[in-house]
Amino acid sequence: MAVIAPSGAPAAPTPTRTGSTPSVSQPRAWVGWLFIAPNLIGVLLFTLVPLVSVVLLSFTEWNLVSGFGGIDFVGLENFVDVFQDPAFWNSVVLTLVYAGVSVPLTTILGMALGLALNRDVPGRAALRAIFFVPYIVSVVAIGMTWLMLMNPSAGLINQVLGALGLQDAPAWFASSYWALPALIVIAVWSGVGYAAVIYLSALQDAPTQLYEAADLDGAGAWTKFRVITWPSLVPTTVFLLVTLFIGASQGFGLIALITAGGPGDSTTTLPFYMYQTGFQFYRFGYASAIGMVTFLGVLALTLVTWRAQRGRALHD
Amino acid sequence: MIGRGRARTPTRRQFLAGCAGIASAGVLGGCGSGSGATPPNRLNVWGGVPPGSGPAALVEAFTAAHPGTEVSYTRFVNDDRGNLKLDTALQGGVDIDVYFTYQTKQLALRAESRMMLDVTDRLAGDAELAPYLDRRNPTALWDGDRVRALATVAEPWFVLFNEAARERAGTPLPTRWTVPEFEQVAREIRSDGVFGTYEVPRTARIALGPDYWFTPEGGSNLADPRFVEWLELGQRAIRDGVAYPWTEVLARHLDAYQQNGFVAGEFATWVTPPFSLRYLHDEENYPHDFRVAAAPLPTTADGTGWDQGQYNNFIMINPRSPRQDLAWEFVRFWVTEGARHMAKGGKIPALGNVPQEEVLASLLGPEPDRWFDVDSFRRVLFDEPAQLYVDSNLTAYAEIDLALSQQQDLCWIGERSPADAMAAVAARATAAIDRNRKAA
Repeated sequence: MAVIAPSGAPAAPTPTRTGSTPSVSQPRAWVGWLFIAPNLIGVLLFTLVPLVSVVLLSFTEWNLVSGFGGIDFVGLENFVDVFQDPAFWNSVVLTLVYAGVSVPLTTILGMALGLALNRDVPGRAALRAIFFVPYIVSVVAIGMTWLMLMNPSAGLINQVLGALGLQDAPAWFASSYWALPALIVIAVWSGVGYAAVIYLSALQDAPTQLYEAADLDGAGAWTKFRVITWPSLVPTTVFLLVTLFIGASQGFGLIALITAGGPGDSTTTLPFYMYQTGFQFYRFGYASAIGMVTFLGVLALTLVTWRAQRGRALHD
Repeated sequence: MIGRGRARTPTRRQFLAGCAGIASAGVLGGCGSGSGATPPNRLNVWGGVPPGSGPAALVEAFTAAHPGTEVSYTRFVNDDRGNLKLDTALQGGVDIDVYFTYQTKQLALRAESRMMLDVTDRLAGDAELAPYLDRRNPTALWDGDRVRALATVAEPWFVLFNEAARERAGTPLPTRWTVPEFEQVAREIRSDGVFGTYEVPRTARIALGPDYWFTPEGGSNLADPRFVEWLELGQRAIRDGVAYPWTEVLARHLDAYQQNGFVAGEFATWVTPPFSLRYLHDEENYPHDFRVAAAPLPTTADGTGWDQGQYNNFIMINPRSPRQDLAWEFVRFWVTEGARHMAKGGKIPALGNVPQEEVLASLLGPEPDRWFDVDSFRRVLFDEPAQLYVDSNLTAYAEIDLALSQQQDLCWIGERSPADAMAAVAARATAAIDRNRKAA
């Protein structure tokens, strides 16, 4: 249907070949393009081009230094090598452990915190802000702070554990057994506030009439949570699980800053292994193949999660 | 009429949109090479040494000796990110004529990619540079029978002693010693709160010398028992409280800040290269109250004594440079007349063409007798110079280096036995070497 001209406006003139009269249906479209040009160019250059490049490079062998002339097409060889690479599978396991523990913990603790902050507690607004702060603090500040807190000999945490009588306190980042759990603790600590805020917003939409009906029926707190609150939080939980899992599987900053993948390769998760392969060994084709496999894996898990929750949400 | 009027006179919104578009185009255009057309008499040099530590004076001397010539020296930070920046610039066509490589893993990648001009013929007719063609005592990077990069610096390692700790222990300063004697001295010199050493010497390197990761046939040599012996020595020293605890090294990221521990008196001996001396005469930033003496690196029990340092700081010409003759003039100047300026920054010239006392004075700072036992440094660096070399087999260097450092960490925090650790390194090295051979 044609656009209705504002009342009193003259009829639009017929467009001419010279272009001196603008079209009615597309009035000066270039102005709109100019407005979005800075963002569009940025997205094209820094997102689309790298994305396409990764796909193309995953079928090649390239070390960057040799220039574009040094790109050799190797077909599916990188993908075959990826699946035969023990270091890749080690990083897959580490990533699954890291995400598989930190994401549910963040979600559960975030929900508990959200439920607590949803009640009428004194200083609720301030508490919400305080719990959210770790999410917005720079990863460098977080890393350096936890590095000091978890120092094996002088760190506050081990001092406290020592005072409590624990003789062999963990060496945290200096132990291949404890480094990953320590990173998980930091990830949970910095993510709980975010999850709580998301849950808080979801709780505002919980159907109040059902709570009133449940009160009339004499339902207890656990029954109300199980029958009303939880079903209404399912979409939010799925959203958090998916986004936190994607975030965890891309986690790089803390690892690069604190452990650099070590001790040994005990914290070399997929993103860090990709970085090592690409930017330390300069095997950009192979690193791109790892990136592609990671992408497909995360995509599959996301689809499975979405599918599993379909139809389980509580609707008004 | 409204439409027509707008078409003729841009509105404020249109004007702003246009400005934004033009600005973004300008900004993104700036992401290109940024070099523009460089005049034929202007050289672009990329190095990792801060200009004030020698390069600025060297460049000034070069331009004074070559009137009409300009040199733009760009400093990159010699870490992974800085080297990636240089590699991207080289690959992206940024106008770079001469550049430096300091890390062997970077040297390996750049050599493999032929990002270095063949300078063999230029060296051939130059008597002053003849040492670079000596293959028995190499000071250059050879690619087959061609020279592609010249070492500018000799980087011998030595053992520094905290003299206060040594005198307290009553230990004589070693002038020639073996690894078992080193272990014994480190054990004697430790005291309450002071470890004997930061880290044990790399005894496998001392025993095996150049290309110690590889067999003569090019395969992995990491199954050699001397690698296990080195890890055992380190593990034993840490377990017995002789060497600094590796858990602390990892937890505090001390490897890059070893000087802090030494000036704080946390360990009494320190195996290190000459550039560490700059911290020891910097009273303002590294305050301490003891003098420092030097002992040579210990040899193996049978007297084999390769250094664990090498000829280093390679200078090379970008093969894409349109000013290769001028670039060669600059390279030649750097390693000959210009070496004096770099010695001031603690760099010992690879060609040995600066008077020893001048180099020593540069290394030990303005008050040498206050901070150092000068005679010990003269003896270690010049009277009995260490046996230096240049590695020539750089196959899979970055991967082997990482595997070795990962397993060294696991072993020295006591989570893996030396034998298991070296077996893991050897397996990974063999796989990496095989893959490189296949790719070649």
